[in-house]
Amino acid sequence: MSIDKTIKDIQTSFNKEFSTIASASALEEIRVKFLGRKGLVNDLFEMFNQLPNAEKPKYGKSINILKTDITQAIEDKQASFQENTVTSSIDLSLPGIQLKRGSIHPLEAITSEIKSIFQSIGFSIAYGPEIDDEYHNFEALNVPKHHPARDMQDTYYIDPETVLRTHTSNVQIHLMEEQEPPLRHICVGRVFRNEAVSYKSYCLFNQVEGLVVNETTSFAQMKGTIEYFITELFGADTKMRFRPSYFPFTEPSAEVDIWNDKLQQWMEIMGCGMVNPKVFNNVGYPSNIKGYAFGMGIERIAMIKYGINDIRLFYQNDQRFLEQF
Amino acid sequence: MKISLSWLKRHVDFSWSASELAERLTLRGFESEVATDFSTLDHVVVGQVISCQKHPDADKLSLCKVSDGSTEFDVICGAPNVATNQKIVFAKVGAILPGNFKIGKAKIRGIESHGMICSERELGISEEHEGILVLDDKAKVGTSIEKVLGPLFNAIEVEITPDKGFALSHRGIAREIAAMTNQSLKIPFSLQKPKQNTSLEKISIDLDSKGGCTRYIGAVMNDVKVGPSPDWLKNYLKSVGQKSINNLVDISNFILLEIGQPTHIFDFSKFKKRTVAVQWAKEKEKYHALDEETYELSQNHLVITDSKETVALAGIIGGYDSAVTDMTTEVLIESAYFDPIIIRKGSKKLGLLSEASRRFERGIDPNSSMEALLIIIQLIEEIAGGKLSSQITDSCAVNLESKKLYLSEINLNSVIGQITPKKEITSLLKQLDFNPKETKDGWECLIPTYRHDIDQEADLVEEVLRSIGYENIQSDFTYQTTLVNTKDDEYSISKLKNHLSSLGFSQCYNNSLQDISEVNAFGINPIEVLNPTSERMNTLRTTLHQGLLKNLDYNFKNGNADVQFYEYGTIFSKEGEGLSGINQQSSFSSLVHGNWQDNNVHFKSIPLSFYYLKGVLENINVHFMSTKLKFITNKHPYLDSYQDIVDSKGDSIASIGTVKSSFLRKLDIAHKHPVHLMDINLQTFDQYSNYAVKFQEIAPYPKVIRDLNFKLSSSVIIGDVVKVMQSTNQSILIDVKPVDIFKKSKQDSDQDVLFKLTFQSDKKTLEDNDVNPIINDVIKIISSKFKGILRDK
Repeated sequence: MSIDKTIKDIQTSFNKEFSTIASASALEEIRVKFLGRKGLVNDLFEMFNQLPNAEKPKYGKSINILKTDITQAIEDKQASFQENTVTSSIDLSLPGIQLKRGSIHPLEAITSEIKSIFQSIGFSIAYGPEIDDEYHNFEALNVPKHHPARDMQDTYYIDPETVLRTHTSNVQIHLMEEQEPPLRHICVGRVFRNEAVSYKSYCLFNQVEGLVVNETTSFAQMKGTIEYFITELFGADTKMRFRPSYFPFTEPSAEVDIWNDKLQQWMEIMGCGMVNPKVFNNVGYPSNIKGYAFGMGIERIAMIKYGINDIRLFYQNDQRFLEQF
Repeated sequence: MKISLSWLKRHVDFSWSASELAERLTLRGFESEVATDFSTLDHVVVGQVISCQKHPDADKLSLCKVSDGSTEFDVICGAPNVATNQKIVFAKVGAILPGNFKIGKAKIRGIESHGMICSERELGISEEHEGILVLDDKAKVGTSIEKVLGPLFNAIEVEITPDKGFALSHRGIAREIAAMTNQSLKIPFSLQKPKQNTSLEKISIDLDSKGGCTRYIGAVMNDVKVGPSPDWLKNYLKSVGQKSINNLVDISNFILLEIGQPTHIFDFSKFKKRTVAVQWAKEKEKYHALDEETYELSQNHLVITDSKETVALAGIIGGYDSAVTDMTTEVLIESAYFDPIIIRKGSKKLGLLSEASRRFERGIDPNSSMEALLIIIQLIEEIAGGKLSSQITDSCAVNLESKKLYLSEINLNSVIGQITPKKEITSLLKQLDFNPKETKDGWECLIPTYRHDIDQEADLVEEVLRSIGYENIQSDFTYQTTLVNTKDDEYSISKLKNHLSSLGFSQCYNNSLQDISEVNAFGINPIEVLNPTSERMNTLRTTLHQGLLKNLDYNFKNGNADVQFYEYGTIFSKEGEGLSGINQQSSFSSLVHGNWQDNNVHFKSIPLSFYYLKGVLENINVHFMSTKLKFITNKHPYLDSYQDIVDSKGDSIASIGTVKSSFLRKLDIAHKHPVHLMDINLQTFDQYSNYAVKFQEIAPYPKVIRDLNFKLSSSVIIGDVVKVMQSTNQSILIDVKPVDIFKKSKQDSDQDVLFKLTFQSDKKTLEDNDVNPIINDVIKIISSKFKGILRDK
């Protein structure tokens, strides 16, 4: 029998027998039969040794390949039998190792989202004092002492000239006192209102305000920026409207509503407007300067976004509430 | 403010429904909603009471037969005024009344009722609920109620912002509608100023010297008969939810709501002298007002006197003694202009707000004072039978001229950001009554005296803009900006928050305002609020610990004993006088209590201990700061095992401690295990968190690990042992860690401690003969310094 034929026969019979193997012991039998000391592959090598030297290179390579193939196939099969043994010995139905999750407060989560939307369009973030003088909280913002506009924000006083800020707008004044235009900032922080605590009002809330100041901005640009922001935060399909309103520090002023499909009504989401020239005058900016400002309450946005119906939940820190975010 | 559609139609024509009107006004800056709209009421018709008997089983109920023109229904009615033949408002089964009140068939004391006879309150007209609303006898039975009541009572609720005092009347709102629809206002009264009859008495009127009152018009009428008002007047007042009182009071209220001028009608016979003097009140003057309350006035209160006694608190509320009664026959009519700031201060000081003060403090039209007086005279003649019995005295020191204001076309267009044709702007300005005169660059405007809100160009820009409609401004999505770093000073802190939250901590937000008695337990020099909402929130927190402990208490009581919390926020303390003496700084604290993870099939839970927080801090250090931490034991007022953690320069990095159990008891904080707190110093953290990572060469040679088990006295501090071991070799002994501690019992005086020593060289693969001499040194030194005995080498 030619060695060539023997190689092919061994290959064929290995393939045939190998394909029917169902157990580790059967595999072992085959291993011995083919690769054992007295196995078929070794026999083949003996035949090979008796070949004339001139013919050896011709068959050496194919015999080696045959041996490697068979060895590889058997090792792979062995490994797969072992794996099966391991898997079948564990109860896959047991729960995974549960690591308790922590959470970011929902107000923080919304604030971060808002910050990053504005940072992506070139706004810096500014912070300022929660206790400030009346001048920075009111007068500089064109809210004179005896003006009915004071009634819009019930104020906590520390002493007759010092207040817990009622909005983050005091930061805008500090910014403008410290920096020359142009400005492009949002101010973030906690603000206080002297209101009775109920499901819809709390004695404090978190605010984000924006301020853009340069020589060329306009109401139309403000509208564009706010529309961009709202669609980023609430989705591209959000229906919104701008309507005239009143804030002492902006003129013209607007209120922005978004449409709530579930309630079938408009919901106030933020206030905005062109910075009142009187405010620029108070901080000593030149008269050709223009700007716009806007502001929103984070609690309100979080309540709309997450469907939360009681503002007090934000400050109760019930684990069952916190872990949902 | 409630605005009645029928009342508006006295001044301007429009055909919008209540909801259309509300929508249009909202988009013009007057946030409005529908108050009453009868066109939305189905199954509510004019009914007639055919018969009316007592309910057999209830004294106060009547059993009526009500006809809707085609059918008769059994209806139970509880109103005392129901009677046979009345035309009434009949809500049939299926009707939905305001407030989503659904009318269905109902059994009342055993008898079925098919519908309801309505009161004014049920229809949303007024608060009147004493009896049913009885309609005019001419109403046709079966007619839908919209036809009968709609024209009288459809109304909207309008929110007027503080700048727009000019809109606090039906004429004010009508002006807006006229501007929107490009019409002129109608003139509901044809007024003729009575010829001054110099033979009549002239009442002298003295204004105050400081400008508190700059116009006061007075006139006297006699032969006045006080009595009920005619229906048309009652219905107007009812349409805005106001009760009719008597003809004189109703006339004054009507004028206020008609044109926005508050007026007052005195019983002139109560004046000691037939004269009017506007003066400043005496300090601590007692004033008995119309509302039957007595107020203590101050020198800053402006009062109306008869030159002897106070008869009214100017612009706020009339006096009790000079008020009109049923016996009144001679009246003095006041129509005046008071200074907004003085009225506001006066009303704030007493906490006394009135419809009059609300208008005066926003500024009324000084030109409307005479008009109001003349209308009142005319109405009193018509419906109260009075006659003018004095000259009309007009003491006037106010400027009645319109202000001039310039609007530049370039400024207007550039603020808006789009170009509007000049002609269009001119006509918008005209509709707003600004009498624009076109110039080369803009408009010369004349601002009517009722527009106190307009005193600069920006105000005119807003007027034009809201007339164009905000929805008609094309949004501009381009922007030009100088590129700058969008920096955020709290960036590193947000990384810290995210890190802790992913380690299993929940972030808390606590109230900054707390109860002083609790705040005092935590810190010194807290800051109190002058005007707290409640005593439980009268002081600013001095530490975040307080809130976190409350959070533990709350969650423990609600079934969550295992908590890991942190909070970032501002804390406050007083360090000196005034604003500069207030210390307000950001703070970062965390609290743990209970167990880390629940017991489960894979492992047992471990306590959230001091070591847990220490590990968290070390983890934070590795992640963000990469510095060498030094732990210093210190004292703290309410924390045990208190450790200050500093860096090599001695700068504070953090502190960790365990809350004293006496403190927890004192504050009544629910807990089962020790409570541990950690503060992180944000300033140092922020400095370190910006550190630049430096790559270190990875050693190419393997580590050699040896375990050494020592028997040591229980009093030995293991940290000291580790330090000594480390000191034996600085070059290849790279780490020493205790990995197991064994004691036979808690009281055992000995402990077996297993140490893991790690060796590595950056020059070669270590052999036994490199490591063994060091191991021998370690054994020797531990035996000599700590009397440690090596077990089973």
